[in-house]
Amino acid sequence: MSLRLDELRKHYGATRAVDGVSLDLGERETLALLGPSGCGKSTLLRLMAGLEAPDAGRVSLDGADITALPPQRRRFGMVFQDYALFPHLNVAQNVAFGLVELGWSRDDQRRRVRELLDLVGLEGLEQRRVQQLSGGQQQRVALARALAPRPEVLLLDEPLSNLDQTLREALKEELRGLLSSLPVRAVYVTHDQSEAFAIGRRVAIMRAGRITQAGTREQVLERPRSGWLARFLGHRNLYGREAVAAVPVAPRADTVLLRADLITILPVGPTPAGSAPAADDPRDGRAGTRATVRRARRDGLRWQLDLTLPAWGIELAWEGYARELPEAPLEGSQLALSVPAEAWLALEEP
Amino acid sequence: MRPSWVSTLLGVAASAFLAVFFLLPLGVILQRSFADAGALAHVASNPFYWQRLGFTTGQALLSTLLTVAVGLPGALLFARYAFAGKRLLTAAFTIPFVMPTVVAGIGFLALFGRRGLLGLDLRNTLLLVLLAHVFYNYAIVVRVVGSFLEGAAPRLLEAASTLGAGAWRGTLRVSLPLARPALFAAATLVFLFCFTSFGVILILAPAPRLATLEVEIYQLTAHLLELGQAAVLVLAQLIVVGAVTLVYTRMQSRLSLALPTPARALPRPQGAARAVLGLNTAVAALLILSPLAALAVQALQGPGGRFPSLANLGFAARPSAVIGFASLGLALRNSLLFATLSTLVALAVGFAFAYAVARGRWRILDQLSLLPLATSPITLGFGYLLAFPALVAHPWGIPLAHALIAFPFVARSLLPALRGLDPGHGAAAATLGAGPWRTLWRVELPQLGPALLTAASFAFAVSMGEFGATLLLARPEYATLPVAIYDRLGRPGAQHHGAAMALALLLMLVTGAVMMLLQRRGRSEF
Repeated sequence: MSLRLDELRKHYGATRAVDGVSLDLGERETLALLGPSGCGKSTLLRLMAGLEAPDAGRVSLDGADITALPPQRRRFGMVFQDYALFPHLNVAQNVAFGLVELGWSRDDQRRRVRELLDLVGLEGLEQRRVQQLSGGQQQRVALARALAPRPEVLLLDEPLSNLDQTLREALKEELRGLLSSLPVRAVYVTHDQSEAFAIGRRVAIMRAGRITQAGTREQVLERPRSGWLARFLGHRNLYGREAVAAVPVAPRADTVLLRADLITILPVGPTPAGSAPAADDPRDGRAGTRATVRRARRDGLRWQLDLTLPAWGIELAWEGYARELPEAPLEGSQLALSVPAEAWLALEEP
Repeated sequence: MRPSWVSTLLGVAASAFLAVFFLLPLGVILQRSFADAGALAHVASNPFYWQRLGFTTGQALLSTLLTVAVGLPGALLFARYAFAGKRLLTAAFTIPFVMPTVVAGIGFLALFGRRGLLGLDLRNTLLLVLLAHVFYNYAIVVRVVGSFLEGAAPRLLEAASTLGAGAWRGTLRVSLPLARPALFAAATLVFLFCFTSFGVILILAPAPRLATLEVEIYQLTAHLLELGQAAVLVLAQLIVVGAVTLVYTRMQSRLSLALPTPARALPRPQGAARAVLGLNTAVAALLILSPLAALAVQALQGPGGRFPSLANLGFAARPSAVIGFASLGLALRNSLLFATLSTLVALAVGFAFAYAVARGRWRILDQLSLLPLATSPITLGFGYLLAFPALVAHPWGIPLAHALIAFPFVARSLLPALRGLDPGHGAAAATLGAGPWRTLWRVELPQLGPALLTAASFAFAVSMGEFGATLLLARPEYATLPVAIYDRLGRPGAQHHGAAMALALLLMLVTGAVMMLLQRRGRSEF
């Protein structure tokens, strides 16, 4: 029982907006579709909704081919980036729009509208005009409207991108709770990593019309398959084959990622017995090396360090809180690093 | 920002001009209609005039209904779909609206007149009047409704489709309710134009039973010299028109409904929508292009059926032995001269007005700007006759009247442009040492180029085509192209008919060329 995309393609002139995408979405699953702007993720969502017809490929729902089905017969709910609320209808009428199409009785409509407004926290605003609502309230109406007809799939197109930072954080939490509690499968399109990993149990990364990697959020976050994705996720320590040639503990690959978030920084000099070693210790897979602070900057509460690792001949960017450092770092000072084996990742693609 | 003394000065100047050349003539008409108790009683007790009021209202309502019926499907489809040739069609459909009434009238005469191409004489029938009104006003419905919907409807229809409403249900539940204020505004405007229809009626249906109030006022003034009764009719017409205008401004203010951002690209029509679009476009194109084509054919028809031939134009150019019969040269010279003068006046007044409204504390003037639009040309001409008898024999009489008729168009073109200017620029200029005049000259005017051009071409086209007021005010030596065309229609003989056609073609081409400029540039606030 699932929504399946098979080799979907959509070209606009010479632009390949969606270039052979296959995806599977199971029951009650929330998939986040993450990618930079212009990568084709919105187009892919519109192909799922039936708002665009693919040039090639298949969309199927629970085994039935629905590629040719127009949007009004798919029963996919969609939350648009600008909400697209009907300005001539009030809040309740907006939420009931799909129910009217389904031919629900007035009483049933009223009950369902109330149920959904309760769900999204807008009880009592039934008669309000949508223009009188704040951005966050409009967003909730759009969500309630999409959910009201009990859609097969809920599609969300950058639903938080028009809100300010604080509101976005709050609504992100709310959406996460809502989507995991509702028995609905959802596809959540965003260019914002924190949204994608907060909301999607599974995350698919899209780049230039293709899915470059899909998996659970842990898989994607911790084992990016390509250098592009690693950089996109904010990893800054990527090395080519030549750069890591002199590093005894690094894997042999064309592109290697060193995860700075797994590195521990220790004071230099005599270390108390039993603490992490400052030299190679093959027993627990940890390696130690010395680093020189080339540059140290404060960014709010966090420190950003540019380090030189003379023994290994590489540069390393590290960031963390002051408490993770033995002392306030000075440019030119020495630190000792403890690098676990799993911090090194060999990437399949540059 | 504090309003500068420049905006105050311009506001005072614009108000003074409007007071003298618009409010004063209106006031004189009102005074006259109340002063002559006999005329008031005569008109009120005469069933003929009540009949005229009834007919005028009835034909305007019918014309409005028909125009909406033809225009609405087009507007809905144009706002919703992209298709090849859409821009060209949109431009073509706008032609009639900007064409002088005389050209529209002559075009239908070339089809359905006594010498018409179809050999079917429909003159003096209500049908022909209605056809001409639909022709003339179709663009209003398509433009006003279409452009209102174009921005938002496609996006909202997408949302509707994900909620289960397909093309028809979406039209019913989203497009139509959304379009309602725009549709009412367009219908009100169409009603106004048809209610005060003059040139079309005079040319296509001169029979007394088809006369509108506007035509009746003209007859009473120009032929019967019953100025008292004419003033009473003007009063009656002003009451209706004023009320409808009030409704229109109300409607218009509701058009500023907040709508979501436009869709990225419109879809192409498919299936039934495609068929409806094709049919609607074909009917509209036939209705709009056939009179203009017929006019061109008849204008270029030489003796013995030679085609194309400039014989008609040649005949029109010949100085006539008949006194008071303007030759092509004289009429063209007058038209161009008056159009230039009235454009300059309308631009000056319109700019002063718009600047005062946009920059100063002259909000109240804003409401006034549509008033001249609601005042028919015959009313204005009649007011000038009563208030400034000296202007009638004066070369400035016609340009002043034209400037006033063009004023709402000019003001409404300049207002959005002025409102769109960044007030920060003025502040920046002030900190750099530029006073209000220097700021106007060095910062604001240079940014208004396109809007000024739009406004100028509007004013020029209005003056070139203006018929009613000119007919009332024009002495033979000041006859313009439309008057010269009308004069020739009244003469017997195929040669005069041909000459009228040739002059109408010339007028059509000049107006068309001016409006081409307009099509390329900015938009106005209607």
